[in-house]
Amino acid sequence: MLLEAKGFRCETMRDMSSAIHFLTTQKAAVLVSDIMMPSGDAFPGIDSSEAGYHLVRRVRRDFPDVAVICLSVIGDQKKIQQLKLQGVLYLRKGETPLNTAARLIESKATGISRY
Amino acid sequence: MEDTETLKAEITRLKAELAEVKAVSNQYLQNVAHQLTAPLGAIKWSIEALKDDRIPIGRKKTLLSSIYSQATILVHLIKNFALMSNLEADHELGQFREKPEPVNMMRLAINLANDFQPQAYESEIKIVVEDQTFQDVFSSNELKIEKNMVSQAISNIIENAVKYADPHSRITMSAVTTKNKDVGIAVESIGIPIAGADEASVFERGFRGHSAMQKVAAGTGIGLYLASRVMAFHHGRIALETNKKITRFAVLFPSHLLVSRT
Repeated sequence: MLLEAKGFRCETMRDMSSAIHFLTTQKAAVLVSDIMMPSGDAFPGIDSSEAGYHLVRRVRRDFPDVAVICLSVIGDQKKIQQLKLQGVLYLRKGETPLNTAARLIESKATGISRY
Repeated sequence: MEDTETLKAEITRLKAELAEVKAVSNQYLQNVAHQLTAPLGAIKWSIEALKDDRIPIGRKKTLLSSIYSQATILVHLIKNFALMSNLEADHELGQFREKPEPVNMMRLAINLANDFQPQAYESEIKIVVEDQTFQDVFSSNELKIEKNMVSQAISNIIENAVKYADPHSRITMSAVTTKNKDVGIAVESIGIPIAGADEASVFERGFRGHSAMQKVAAGTGIGLYLASRVMAFHHGRIALETNKKITRFAVLFPSHLLVSRT
């Protein structure tokens, strides 16, 4: 809502399948994703506890221009490090204030940092 | 010499088993953390957005509904953990610590439907209590049960129905009676089907169906297990019927628990 108030268009997807479908059919600047989320119909073999990792890998491979922010509760530093190595900005759910998250998404989308 | 080899093999096997248990337990804790943090995080962000002048008043109303339903999810989750420990305590005692009391089942159904309606509305699902069925089955009778436990058991079934039902669909709650005069409440929904092979496993602790994992990110896998334990305590059961996309769970109590309304 904060980003929409600033003129950004935000779309919500229910699962990994619909996120990939969206990116295939429409243009997006930033993808904000959880790690634990439903995989959806197109990826029946992927467990919901790690669908986010699969999504990140695919987006990095197929849509390299889309910036990726992960918002999750996972605390496993190894896995967080792997995400960071793929250029992902990792934010802890429940610990990042809304305004900070909105600013970070905005700067990823515009390429302008406001700090 | 042979003994030492056998012992070594056993130690290796136990080590592998321990590592697997640790991995499962870690994943479970992460799952629980996700389920507790996700609604709390959503509530915090909604409150921050409510304070922001740039958000129009219409959207603020949506935020308030979202806060309410996220809080309901949290309360429900925490109640399940409490129920888990209460069931253990009651099991050790061999009886209920809280005395069973006569409960008006229609009132209970309406209260539970109201609890979950805000959450259901987010997927435009309507929960309907078919009151005539309650008149037909219970008439002026009530059921002598442990109210909090049974409420939580039925809540778990409704919560699943809300999670796995198709958007824009309807969940019905009705009173039911069986050939052998058991009585109870049935919750029927239309959505992702329970695979035939999973039907026997859905009441096992920690079980989550494959299609459930595909559709919903996290679940503790204890909801139906707790519900079946609660029903066993009441010498009742849960009957599951599936027909393609229709799923119907009925909590059934023996008829000797019926008492006249005072």
